[in-house]
Amino acid sequence: MKPMLSTDLNAADTTVEKAKIEVKNLNFYYGQSKALKDINLSLPERSVTAFIGPSGCGKSTLLRVLNRIYELYPKQSAEGQVLLDGKNILDRSQDLNLLRTKIGMVFQKPTPFPMSIYENIAFGVRLYEKISKAEMDSRVESALKRAALWNEVKDKLNASGQSLSGGQQQRLCIARTVAVKPEVILLDEPASALDPLSTAKIEELIDELQADYTIVIVTHNMQQAARVSRQTAFMYLGELVEFDRTEKIFTSPREKRTQDYITGRFG
Amino acid sequence: MSTAQSLHQSRKRKNAVMMALCVIAAGIGLAWLALILGALLYKGLSGVSLAVFTQMTPPPGDAGGLLNAIYGSIVMTIIGIVVGTPIGVLAGTYMAEYGRFSKLTTVVRFINDILLSAPSIIVGLFVYELMVRPMGHFSAIAGAVALSILVIPVVVRTTEDMLNLVPNALREAGTAIGAPRWVVIRSVAYRAALSGIVTGILLAIARISGETAPLLFTALNNQFWSSNLNAPMASLPVTIFQFALSPYEEWQQLAWTGALIITLTVLGLSIIARSLTGRREDR
Repeated sequence: MKPMLSTDLNAADTTVEKAKIEVKNLNFYYGQSKALKDINLSLPERSVTAFIGPSGCGKSTLLRVLNRIYELYPKQSAEGQVLLDGKNILDRSQDLNLLRTKIGMVFQKPTPFPMSIYENIAFGVRLYEKISKAEMDSRVESALKRAALWNEVKDKLNASGQSLSGGQQQRLCIARTVAVKPEVILLDEPASALDPLSTAKIEELIDELQADYTIVIVTHNMQQAARVSRQTAFMYLGELVEFDRTEKIFTSPREKRTQDYITGRFG
Repeated sequence: MSTAQSLHQSRKRKNAVMMALCVIAAGIGLAWLALILGALLYKGLSGVSLAVFTQMTPPPGDAGGLLNAIYGSIVMTIIGIVVGTPIGVLAGTYMAEYGRFSKLTTVVRFINDILLSAPSIIVGLFVYELMVRPMGHFSAIAGAVALSILVIPVVVRTTEDMLNLVPNALREAGTAIGAPRWVVIRSVAYRAALSGIVTGILLAIARISGETAPLLFTALNNQFWSSNLNAPMASLPVTIFQFALSPYEEWQQLAWTGALIITLTVLGLSIIARSLTGRREDR
Protein backbone atom coordinates (compact mmCIF):
# COMPACT_ATOMS: atom_id res chain seq x y z
CA MET A 1 0.00 0.00 0.00
CA LYS A 2 1.22 3.48 -0.83
CA PRO A 3 2.21 5.54 2.19
CA MET A 4 0.31 8.79 2.62
CA LEU A 5 3.03 11.27 3.37
CA SER A 6 2.09 14.85 3.79
CA THR A 7 5.13 15.87 1.75
CA ASP A 8 3.47 14.51 -1.40
CA LEU A 9 0.66 17.00 -0.97
CA ASN A 10 1.67 19.67 -3.40
CA ALA A 11 2.63 17.35 -6.20
CA ALA A 12 -0.89 17.13 -7.62
CA ASP A 13 -1.21 20.89 -7.96
CA THR A 14 1.94 21.40 -9.96
CA THR A 15 1.97 18.40 -12.25
CA VAL A 16 -0.65 17.19 -14.70
CA GLU A 17 -3.39 15.51 -12.68
CA LYS A 18 -2.87 11.80 -12.50
CA ALA A 19 -5.93 9.58 -12.88
CA LYS A 20 -6.45 7.38 -9.82
CA ILE A 21 -9.41 5.53 -11.22
CA GLU A 22 -10.34 5.15 -14.87
CA VAL A 23 -13.70 3.74 -15.87
CA LYS A 24 -13.81 2.38 -19.40
CA ASN A 25 -16.90 1.22 -21.32
CA LEU A 26 -18.64 0.17 -18.15
CA ASN A 27 -22.04 -1.49 -18.37
CA PHE A 28 -23.94 -2.69 -15.34
CA TYR A 29 -26.90 -5.03 -15.06
CA TYR A 30 -29.46 -5.79 -12.38
CA GLY A 31 -30.54 -9.16 -13.76
CA GLN A 32 -31.68 -8.34 -17.28
CA SER A 33 -32.10 -4.60 -16.87
CA LYS A 34 -29.22 -2.38 -17.79
CA ALA A 35 -28.51 0.22 -15.12
CA LEU A 36 -25.29 1.77 -16.45
CA LYS A 37 -24.71 2.37 -20.13
CA ASP A 38 -21.21 2.62 -21.47
CA ILE A 39 -19.71 4.82 -18.78
CA ASN A 40 -16.30 6.37 -19.41
CA LEU A 41 -14.66 8.68 -16.93
CA SER A 42 -11.44 9.29 -15.14
CA LEU A 43 -11.15 10.34 -11.51
CA PRO A 44 -8.08 12.43 -10.65
CA GLU A 45 -5.98 11.57 -7.61
CA ARG A 46 -6.44 13.51 -4.36
CA SER A 47 -9.43 15.42 -5.39
CA VAL A 48 -13.17 15.26 -4.78
CA THR A 49 -15.43 14.07 -7.56
CA ALA A 50 -19.22 14.32 -7.19
CA PHE A 51 -21.81 12.16 -8.94
CA ILE A 52 -25.13 13.99 -9.26
CA GLY A 53 -28.39 13.20 -10.95
CA PRO A 54 -32.03 12.36 -10.19
CA SER A 55 -33.00 9.24 -8.22
CA GLY A 56 -32.45 6.04 -10.15
CA CYS A 57 -29.95 7.59 -12.57
CA GLY A 58 -27.24 5.08 -11.60
CA LYS A 59 -24.95 7.28 -9.54
CA SER A 60 -25.00 4.98 -6.49
CA THR A 61 -24.69 1.95 -8.75
CA LEU A 62 -21.56 3.40 -10.30
CA LEU A 63 -20.13 4.06 -6.85
CA ARG A 64 -20.89 0.49 -5.79
CA VAL A 65 -18.97 -0.85 -8.79
CA LEU A 66 -15.81 0.93 -7.67
CA ASN A 67 -15.32 -1.35 -4.64
CA ARG A 68 -17.35 -4.22 -6.09
CA ILE A 69 -19.67 -4.23 -3.10
CA TYR A 70 -22.47 -5.11 -5.51
CA GLU A 71 -21.09 -8.64 -5.55
CA LEU A 72 -22.79 -9.30 -2.22
CA TYR A 73 -25.95 -9.78 -4.23
CA PRO A 74 -26.60 -12.31 -6.94
CA LYS A 75 -27.76 -11.28 -10.40
CA GLN A 76 -25.81 -8.04 -10.39
CA SER A 77 -22.98 -7.89 -12.90
CA ALA A 78 -20.56 -5.41 -14.41
CA GLU A 79 -18.89 -5.42 -17.83
CA GLY A 80 -16.02 -3.27 -18.98
CA GLN A 81 -13.00 -2.00 -17.10
CA VAL A 82 -12.36 -0.09 -13.93
CA LEU A 83 -8.68 0.68 -13.62
CA LEU A 84 -7.24 1.50 -10.21
CA ASP A 85 -3.70 2.79 -10.78
CA GLY A 86 -3.87 1.12 -14.17
CA LYS A 87 -4.97 -2.30 -12.89
CA ASN A 88 -8.40 -3.63 -13.77
CA ILE A 89 -10.28 -4.29 -10.54
CA LEU A 90 -13.15 -6.01 -12.35
CA ASP A 91 -10.71 -8.77 -13.18
CA ARG A 92 -11.58 -12.15 -11.68
CA SER A 93 -8.16 -12.44 -10.10
CA GLN A 94 -8.70 -9.28 -8.05
CA ASP A 95 -8.83 -10.11 -4.33
CA LEU A 96 -12.00 -8.42 -3.13
CA ASN A 97 -11.02 -7.98 0.49
CA LEU A 98 -7.73 -6.36 -0.41
CA LEU A 99 -9.49 -4.14 -2.93
CA ARG A 100 -11.82 -2.92 -0.21
CA THR A 101 -8.99 -2.05 2.12
CA LYS A 102 -7.71 0.26 -0.62
CA ILE A 103 -11.13 1.66 -1.45
CA GLY A 104 -13.12 2.55 1.66
CA MET A 105 -16.82 3.35 1.68
CA VAL A 106 -19.19 5.37 3.87
CA PHE A 107 -22.91 4.82 3.51
CA GLN A 108 -26.02 6.96 3.53
CA LYS A 109 -27.22 5.69 6.89
CA PRO A 110 -24.57 5.69 9.62
CA THR A 111 -23.57 2.07 10.21
CA PRO A 112 -21.57 1.79 13.43
CA PHE A 113 -20.80 -1.85 14.25
CA PRO A 114 -22.45 -3.23 17.39
CA MET A 115 -19.31 -2.69 19.48
CA SER A 116 -17.52 0.06 21.38
CA ILE A 117 -16.29 3.25 19.71
CA TYR A 118 -12.70 2.04 20.12
CA GLU A 119 -13.48 -1.39 18.69
CA ASN A 120 -15.35 0.11 15.75
CA ILE A 121 -12.05 1.53 14.59
CA ALA A 122 -9.70 -1.20 15.79
CA PHE A 123 -11.83 -3.84 14.03
CA GLY A 124 -10.81 -2.84 10.52
CA VAL A 125 -7.17 -2.22 11.44
CA ARG A 126 -6.84 -5.60 13.12
CA LEU A 127 -7.97 -7.41 9.97
CA TYR A 128 -4.76 -6.73 8.12
CA GLU A 129 -2.23 -5.51 10.68
CA LYS A 130 -0.77 -6.97 13.82
CA ILE A 131 0.12 -4.02 16.03
CA SER A 132 0.66 -3.52 19.74
CA LYS A 133 -1.94 -2.11 22.09
CA ALA A 134 -0.09 1.20 22.30
CA GLU A 135 0.17 1.50 18.53
CA MET A 136 -3.52 0.66 18.23
CA ASP A 137 -4.38 3.32 20.80
CA SER A 138 -2.56 5.95 18.82
CA ARG A 139 -4.05 4.67 15.59
CA VAL A 140 -7.57 4.99 17.02
CA GLU A 141 -6.79 8.43 18.36
CA SER A 142 -5.41 9.73 15.09
CA ALA A 143 -8.34 8.31 13.10
CA LEU A 144 -10.82 9.94 15.46
CA LYS A 145 -8.91 13.24 15.27
CA ARG A 146 -8.87 12.98 11.51
CA ALA A 147 -12.67 12.63 11.55
CA ALA A 148 -13.00 15.57 13.99
CA LEU A 149 -14.60 13.31 16.57
CA TRP A 150 -11.82 12.86 19.12
CA ASN A 151 -12.80 15.71 21.43
CA GLU A 152 -16.36 14.48 21.67
CA VAL A 153 -15.59 10.83 22.42
CA LYS A 154 -12.14 10.69 24.04
CA ASP A 155 -13.65 10.11 27.50
CA LYS A 156 -16.01 7.34 26.41
CA LEU A 157 -14.10 5.18 23.98
CA ASN A 158 -15.65 2.10 25.56
CA ALA A 159 -19.22 3.30 25.06
CA SER A 160 -21.22 1.63 22.31
CA GLY A 161 -20.80 3.18 18.88
CA GLN A 162 -24.55 3.05 18.55
CA SER A 163 -25.01 5.39 21.51
CA LEU A 164 -23.64 8.35 19.54
CA SER A 165 -25.80 10.86 17.67
CA GLY A 166 -26.40 10.41 13.94
CA GLY A 167 -23.78 12.97 12.94
CA GLN A 168 -21.23 11.52 15.34
CA GLN A 169 -21.96 8.01 14.10
CA GLN A 170 -21.29 9.13 10.54
CA ARG A 171 -17.98 10.70 11.56
CA LEU A 172 -17.17 7.46 13.41
CA CYS A 173 -17.76 5.61 10.14
CA ILE A 174 -15.43 8.01 8.36
CA ALA A 175 -12.82 7.53 11.10
CA ARG A 176 -13.17 3.77 10.76
CA THR A 177 -12.64 4.02 7.01
CA VAL A 178 -9.64 6.33 7.33
CA ALA A 179 -8.04 4.11 9.99
CA VAL A 180 -7.34 1.29 7.53
CA LYS A 181 -5.40 3.77 5.35
CA PRO A 182 -7.29 3.48 2.10
CA GLU A 183 -6.33 5.32 -1.09
CA VAL A 184 -9.84 6.08 -2.22
CA ILE A 185 -12.91 6.92 -0.14
CA LEU A 186 -16.38 6.43 -1.57
CA LEU A 187 -19.18 8.42 0.06
CA ASP A 188 -22.75 7.40 -0.74
CA GLU A 189 -24.92 10.39 0.19
CA PRO A 190 -23.06 10.65 3.49
CA ALA A 191 -24.99 13.63 4.81
CA SER A 192 -28.50 13.04 3.54
CA ALA A 193 -29.68 11.60 6.85
CA LEU A 194 -28.07 14.36 8.92
CA ASP A 195 -29.07 17.80 10.21
CA PRO A 196 -27.51 20.93 8.64
CA LEU A 197 -24.88 21.35 11.37
CA SER A 198 -23.63 17.77 11.10
CA THR A 199 -23.73 18.12 7.32
CA ALA A 200 -21.48 21.17 7.51
CA LYS A 201 -19.03 19.22 9.67
CA ILE A 202 -18.95 16.32 7.24
CA GLU A 203 -18.37 18.67 4.30
CA GLU A 204 -15.53 20.39 6.12
CA LEU A 205 -14.05 16.99 6.76
CA ILE A 206 -14.30 15.99 3.09
CA ASP A 207 -12.49 19.18 2.18
CA GLU A 208 -9.63 18.28 4.55
CA LEU A 209 -9.46 14.64 3.53
CA GLN A 210 -8.90 15.37 -0.15
CA ALA A 211 -5.34 16.34 0.66
CA ASP A 212 -4.58 12.67 1.23
CA TYR A 213 -7.32 10.69 -0.45
CA THR A 214 -9.12 10.41 -3.74
CA ILE A 215 -12.74 11.02 -2.83
CA VAL A 216 -15.91 10.18 -4.72
CA ILE A 217 -19.19 11.46 -3.35
CA VAL A 218 -22.70 10.64 -4.51
CA THR A 219 -25.20 13.30 -3.62
CA HIS A 220 -28.58 14.50 -4.76
CA ASN A 221 -27.96 17.80 -3.08
CA MET A 222 -26.57 20.00 -5.87
CA GLN A 223 -25.40 22.75 -3.54
CA GLN A 224 -23.39 20.13 -1.68
CA ALA A 225 -21.78 18.97 -4.91
CA ALA A 226 -20.94 22.57 -5.78
CA ARG A 227 -19.47 23.18 -2.32
CA VAL A 228 -17.27 20.12 -1.90
CA SER A 229 -16.22 18.81 -5.30
CA ARG A 230 -13.64 19.72 -7.90
CA GLN A 231 -15.17 17.60 -10.66
CA THR A 232 -18.82 16.78 -11.15
CA ALA A 233 -20.38 14.01 -13.19
CA PHE A 234 -24.02 14.45 -14.12
CA MET A 235 -25.81 11.19 -14.75
CA TYR A 236 -29.23 10.57 -16.16
CA LEU A 237 -31.03 7.26 -16.88
CA GLY A 238 -27.86 5.22 -16.56
CA GLU A 239 -25.81 7.43 -18.82
CA LEU A 240 -23.01 9.78 -18.02
CA VAL A 241 -24.31 12.98 -19.56
CA GLU A 242 -21.53 15.35 -18.69
CA PHE A 243 -18.32 15.26 -16.70
CA ASP A 244 -16.27 18.37 -16.11
CA ARG A 245 -14.83 20.76 -13.56
CA THR A 246 -17.51 21.62 -11.01
CA GLU A 247 -17.57 25.36 -11.81
CA LYS A 248 -18.05 24.52 -15.44
CA ILE A 249 -20.97 22.16 -14.77
CA PHE A 250 -22.72 24.67 -12.57
CA THR A 251 -22.07 27.81 -14.62
CA SER A 252 -21.85 26.84 -18.26
CA PRO A 253 -22.78 23.21 -18.88
CA ARG A 254 -22.43 21.88 -22.40
CA GLU A 255 -25.54 19.74 -22.35
CA LYS A 256 -29.10 20.99 -22.17
CA ARG A 257 -30.10 18.10 -19.88
CA THR A 258 -27.44 19.17 -17.36
CA GLN A 259 -28.60 22.74 -17.50
CA ASP A 260 -32.23 21.67 -16.99
CA TYR A 261 -31.30 19.56 -13.99
CA ILE A 262 -29.12 22.06 -12.19
CA THR A 263 -31.61 24.86 -12.73
CA GLY A 264 -34.29 22.65 -11.22
CA ARG A 265 -36.40 22.10 -14.28
CA PHE A 266 -36.63 18.37 -13.49
CA GLY A 267 -35.34 15.83 -11.03
CA MET B 1 -80.28 13.88 14.41
CA SER B 2 -78.11 14.13 11.34
CA THR B 3 -76.83 11.07 9.48
CA ALA B 4 -73.25 11.74 10.45
CA GLN B 5 -74.16 11.79 14.12
CA SER B 6 -76.20 8.61 13.99
CA LEU B 7 -73.38 6.87 12.13
CA HIS B 8 -71.01 8.01 14.83
CA GLN B 9 -73.34 6.67 17.53
CA SER B 10 -73.64 3.26 15.88
CA ARG B 11 -69.89 3.07 15.44
CA LYS B 12 -69.43 3.79 19.10
CA ARG B 13 -71.87 1.02 20.03
CA LYS B 14 -70.11 -1.49 17.77
CA ASN B 15 -66.81 -0.45 19.27
CA ALA B 16 -68.11 -1.05 22.79
CA VAL B 17 -69.41 -4.52 21.88
CA MET B 18 -66.16 -5.56 20.18
CA MET B 19 -64.11 -4.20 23.06
CA ALA B 20 -66.17 -6.19 25.55
CA LEU B 21 -65.75 -9.39 23.53
CA CYS B 22 -62.00 -8.90 23.35
CA VAL B 23 -61.72 -8.29 27.08
CA ILE B 24 -63.76 -11.40 27.82
CA ALA B 25 -61.62 -13.51 25.47
CA ALA B 26 -58.41 -12.22 27.02
CA GLY B 27 -59.87 -12.82 30.47
CA ILE B 28 -60.73 -16.44 29.66
CA GLY B 29 -57.24 -17.06 28.32
CA LEU B 30 -55.57 -15.55 31.35
CA ALA B 31 -57.96 -17.27 33.78
CA TRP B 32 -56.83 -20.73 32.66
CA LEU B 33 -53.23 -19.76 33.09
CA ALA B 34 -53.97 -18.36 36.54
CA LEU B 35 -55.92 -21.50 37.48
CA ILE B 36 -53.10 -23.79 36.38
CA LEU B 37 -50.46 -21.76 38.20
CA GLY B 38 -52.72 -21.47 41.26
CA ALA B 39 -53.41 -25.22 41.37
CA LEU B 40 -49.70 -26.00 40.94
CA LEU B 41 -48.70 -23.62 43.69
CA TYR B 42 -51.48 -24.84 46.00
CA LYS B 43 -50.82 -28.54 45.51
CA GLY B 44 -47.11 -28.44 44.79
CA LEU B 45 -45.76 -25.90 47.24
CA SER B 46 -46.77 -27.97 50.29
CA GLY B 47 -44.56 -30.81 49.03
CA VAL B 48 -41.45 -28.70 48.51
CA SER B 49 -38.79 -29.65 51.03
CA LEU B 50 -35.10 -30.34 51.13
CA ALA B 51 -35.86 -34.04 50.67
CA VAL B 52 -37.24 -33.38 47.18
CA PHE B 53 -33.79 -32.26 46.07
CA THR B 54 -31.70 -34.74 48.08
CA GLN B 55 -33.54 -38.09 47.96
CA MET B 56 -34.35 -40.57 45.22
CA THR B 57 -37.80 -41.38 43.95
CA PRO B 58 -39.31 -43.66 46.58
CA PRO B 59 -41.04 -47.01 46.20
CA PRO B 60 -44.81 -46.82 46.60
CA GLY B 61 -45.90 -45.90 50.11
CA ASP B 62 -42.54 -44.47 51.15
CA ALA B 63 -41.32 -40.91 51.49
CA GLY B 64 -38.64 -39.72 49.09
CA GLY B 65 -37.60 -37.04 46.65
CA LEU B 66 -36.99 -36.35 42.99
CA LEU B 67 -33.20 -36.07 42.92
CA ASN B 68 -32.62 -38.72 40.23
CA ALA B 69 -35.40 -37.29 38.06
CA ILE B 70 -34.10 -33.72 38.40
CA TYR B 71 -30.57 -34.90 37.65
CA GLY B 72 -31.75 -36.87 34.62
CA SER B 73 -33.71 -33.94 33.27
CA ILE B 74 -30.76 -31.60 33.65
CA VAL B 75 -28.28 -34.03 32.07
CA MET B 76 -30.46 -34.88 29.08
CA THR B 77 -31.47 -31.26 28.54
CA ILE B 78 -27.84 -30.14 28.59
CA ILE B 79 -26.76 -32.83 26.12
CA GLY B 80 -29.77 -32.07 23.93
CA ILE B 81 -28.90 -28.37 23.88
CA VAL B 82 -25.17 -28.94 23.40
CA VAL B 83 -25.84 -31.22 20.43
CA GLY B 84 -28.77 -29.34 18.92
CA THR B 85 -27.65 -25.72 19.29
CA PRO B 86 -24.54 -25.73 17.06
CA ILE B 87 -26.43 -27.57 14.31
CA GLY B 88 -29.34 -25.15 14.60
CA VAL B 89 -27.20 -22.02 14.72
CA LEU B 90 -25.07 -23.13 11.78
CA ALA B 91 -28.10 -24.05 9.69
CA GLY B 92 -29.77 -20.74 10.54
CA THR B 93 -26.55 -18.93 9.64
CA TYR B 94 -26.42 -20.66 6.29
CA MET B 95 -30.01 -19.71 5.55
CA ALA B 96 -29.69 -16.06 6.54
CA GLU B 97 -26.16 -15.39 5.34
CA TYR B 98 -24.58 -17.67 2.76
CA GLY B 99 -27.71 -19.11 1.23
CA ARG B 100 -29.99 -16.11 1.50
CA PHE B 101 -30.83 -16.17 -2.18
CA SER B 102 -30.64 -19.91 -2.79
CA LYS B 103 -33.48 -22.35 -3.45
CA LEU B 104 -32.09 -24.73 -0.86
CA THR B 105 -32.88 -22.18 1.85
CA THR B 106 -36.54 -22.07 0.87
CA VAL B 107 -36.70 -25.86 0.97
CA VAL B 108 -34.90 -26.11 4.30
CA ARG B 109 -37.12 -23.42 5.81
CA PHE B 110 -40.24 -25.30 4.69
CA ILE B 111 -39.03 -28.62 6.11
CA ASN B 112 -37.85 -26.92 9.28
CA ASP B 113 -41.29 -25.43 9.82
CA ILE B 114 -42.82 -28.89 9.51
CA LEU B 115 -40.30 -30.25 12.01
CA LEU B 116 -41.11 -27.33 14.31
CA SER B 117 -44.75 -28.33 14.52
CA ALA B 118 -44.24 -32.10 14.38
CA PRO B 119 -45.71 -33.96 17.37
CA SER B 120 -42.84 -34.80 19.68
CA ILE B 121 -44.02 -38.39 20.08
CA ILE B 122 -43.04 -38.96 16.44
CA VAL B 123 -39.54 -37.79 17.23
CA GLY B 124 -39.55 -40.25 20.13
CA LEU B 125 -40.59 -43.12 17.87
CA PHE B 126 -38.00 -42.12 15.29
CA VAL B 127 -35.18 -42.25 17.83
CA TYR B 128 -36.59 -45.49 19.21
CA GLU B 129 -36.17 -47.08 15.78
CA LEU B 130 -32.84 -45.38 15.20
CA MET B 131 -31.11 -46.05 18.52
CA VAL B 132 -33.12 -47.97 21.09
CA ARG B 133 -33.91 -51.00 18.90
CA PRO B 134 -30.39 -51.46 17.51
CA MET B 135 -28.90 -51.00 20.98
CA GLY B 136 -31.43 -53.36 22.48
CA HIS B 137 -32.26 -51.19 25.50
CA PHE B 138 -33.49 -47.76 26.54
CA SER B 139 -30.81 -45.20 27.33
CA ALA B 140 -30.26 -41.64 28.46
CA ILE B 141 -28.24 -40.89 25.36
CA ALA B 142 -31.18 -41.84 23.14
CA GLY B 143 -33.34 -39.50 25.21
CA ALA B 144 -30.83 -36.69 24.75
CA VAL B 145 -30.73 -37.29 21.00
CA ALA B 146 -34.53 -37.12 20.82
CA LEU B 147 -34.46 -33.82 22.72
CA SER B 148 -31.73 -32.42 20.47
CA ILE B 149 -33.91 -33.16 17.44
CA LEU B 150 -36.58 -31.00 19.06
CA VAL B 151 -34.03 -28.25 19.75
CA ILE B 152 -32.81 -27.93 16.17
CA PRO B 153 -35.90 -26.48 14.45
CA VAL B 154 -36.49 -23.94 17.24
CA VAL B 155 -32.90 -22.70 17.08
CA VAL B 156 -32.79 -22.73 13.26
CA ARG B 157 -35.91 -20.61 13.11
CA THR B 158 -34.88 -18.00 15.67
CA THR B 159 -31.29 -17.79 14.38
CA GLU B 160 -32.46 -17.20 10.83
CA ASP B 161 -35.10 -14.67 11.88
CA MET B 162 -32.72 -12.75 14.11
CA LEU B 163 -29.96 -12.63 11.49
CA ASN B 164 -32.49 -11.46 8.92
CA LEU B 165 -33.29 -8.55 11.23
CA VAL B 166 -29.67 -7.37 11.07
CA PRO B 167 -29.73 -4.56 8.51
CA ASN B 168 -27.94 -5.30 5.26
CA ALA B 169 -26.26 -1.91 5.55
CA LEU B 170 -24.28 -3.31 8.49
CA ARG B 171 -23.04 -6.27 6.42
CA GLU B 172 -22.14 -3.94 3.58
CA ALA B 173 -20.23 -1.74 6.00
CA GLY B 174 -18.29 -4.72 7.31
CA THR B 175 -17.56 -5.89 3.80
CA ALA B 176 -16.60 -2.40 2.66
CA ILE B 177 -13.87 -2.22 5.27
CA GLY B 178 -12.25 -5.33 3.84
CA ALA B 179 -13.53 -7.97 6.20
CA PRO B 180 -14.01 -11.44 4.70
CA ARG B 181 -17.51 -12.83 4.86
CA TRP B 182 -16.98 -15.10 7.84
CA VAL B 183 -15.54 -12.21 9.85
CA VAL B 184 -18.54 -10.06 8.98
CA ILE B 185 -20.84 -12.84 10.15
CA ARG B 186 -18.89 -13.58 13.32
CA SER B 187 -18.03 -10.07 14.45
CA VAL B 188 -20.87 -8.00 13.06
CA ALA B 189 -23.97 -10.07 12.30
CA TYR B 190 -23.74 -12.45 15.29
CA ARG B 191 -22.99 -9.58 17.61
CA ALA B 192 -25.97 -7.61 16.39
CA ALA B 193 -28.25 -10.62 16.67
CA LEU B 194 -26.75 -12.15 19.83
CA SER B 195 -29.57 -11.51 22.31
CA GLY B 196 -32.12 -12.84 19.83
CA ILE B 197 -30.15 -16.02 19.19
CA VAL B 198 -29.65 -16.59 22.93
CA THR B 199 -33.38 -16.06 23.41
CA GLY B 200 -34.03 -18.82 20.88
CA ILE B 201 -31.76 -21.19 22.77
CA LEU B 202 -33.48 -20.39 26.07
CA LEU B 203 -36.87 -21.01 24.48
CA ALA B 204 -35.56 -24.34 23.18
CA ILE B 205 -34.47 -25.28 26.72
CA ALA B 206 -37.91 -24.31 27.97
CA ARG B 207 -39.52 -26.45 25.30
CA ILE B 208 -37.52 -29.63 25.88
CA SER B 209 -37.45 -29.50 29.65
CA GLY B 210 -41.16 -30.28 29.67
CA GLU B 211 -41.22 -32.91 26.93
CA THR B 212 -42.51 -36.33 28.01
CA ALA B 213 -43.44 -38.27 24.88
CA PRO B 214 -40.00 -38.46 23.24
CA LEU B 215 -38.44 -39.61 26.52
CA LEU B 216 -40.98 -42.40 27.06
CA PHE B 217 -39.63 -44.17 23.99
CA THR B 218 -35.98 -43.44 24.59
CA ALA B 219 -34.72 -42.82 28.11
CA LEU B 220 -37.76 -44.45 29.69
CA ASN B 221 -37.42 -44.06 33.44
CA ASN B 222 -35.38 -45.24 36.35
CA GLN B 223 -36.45 -45.68 39.93
CA PHE B 224 -32.89 -45.38 41.17
CA TRP B 225 -29.89 -43.13 40.88
CA SER B 226 -28.11 -43.62 37.58
CA SER B 227 -25.55 -41.44 35.87
CA ASN B 228 -24.88 -44.02 33.18
CA LEU B 229 -25.76 -42.49 29.82
CA ASN B 230 -26.03 -45.94 28.32
CA ALA B 231 -28.82 -46.98 30.69
CA PRO B 232 -32.39 -45.83 31.26
CA MET B 233 -32.53 -42.56 33.15
CA ALA B 234 -35.27 -40.87 35.12
CA SER B 235 -36.55 -37.45 34.11
CA LEU B 236 -39.00 -35.05 35.69
CA PRO B 237 -41.70 -35.20 32.99
CA VAL B 238 -41.77 -38.99 32.80
CA THR B 239 -41.69 -39.29 36.57
CA ILE B 240 -44.59 -36.88 36.82
CA PHE B 241 -46.46 -38.92 34.22
CA GLN B 242 -45.88 -42.15 36.13
CA PHE B 243 -46.50 -40.75 39.61
CA ALA B 244 -49.57 -38.73 38.71
CA LEU B 245 -51.29 -41.82 37.29
CA SER B 246 -50.46 -43.91 40.37
CA PRO B 247 -52.89 -44.52 43.22
CA TYR B 248 -50.29 -43.71 45.90
CA GLU B 249 -50.64 -40.40 47.69
CA GLU B 250 -46.90 -39.81 48.22
CA TRP B 251 -46.26 -40.30 44.51
CA GLN B 252 -49.08 -37.95 43.57
CA GLN B 253 -47.68 -35.32 45.89
CA LEU B 254 -44.24 -35.67 44.31
CA ALA B 255 -45.81 -35.36 40.85
CA TRP B 256 -47.37 -32.03 41.84
CA THR B 257 -44.07 -30.81 43.24
CA GLY B 258 -42.21 -31.91 40.14
CA ALA B 259 -44.74 -30.12 37.93
CA LEU B 260 -44.25 -26.97 39.99
CA ILE B 261 -40.45 -27.20 39.60
CA ILE B 262 -40.68 -27.58 35.81
CA THR B 263 -43.21 -24.77 35.48
CA LEU B 264 -41.15 -22.36 37.56
CA THR B 265 -38.01 -23.25 35.58
CA VAL B 266 -39.74 -22.64 32.27
CA LEU B 267 -41.28 -19.44 33.62
CA GLY B 268 -37.86 -18.24 34.76
CA LEU B 269 -36.29 -19.02 31.38
CA SER B 270 -39.11 -17.21 29.57
CA ILE B 271 -38.64 -14.15 31.75
CA ILE B 272 -34.89 -14.14 31.05
CA ALA B 273 -35.59 -14.56 27.32
CA ARG B 274 -38.09 -11.73 27.44
CA SER B 275 -35.77 -9.36 29.24
CA LEU B 276 -32.99 -10.11 26.74
CA THR B 277 -35.22 -9.27 23.79
CA GLY B 278 -36.59 -6.25 25.61
CA ARG B 279 -33.12 -4.90 26.17
CA ARG B 280 -32.35 -5.21 22.48
CA GLU B 281 -35.45 -3.21 21.57
CA ASP B 282 -34.50 -0.46 23.99
CA ARG B 283 -31.27 0.22 22.20
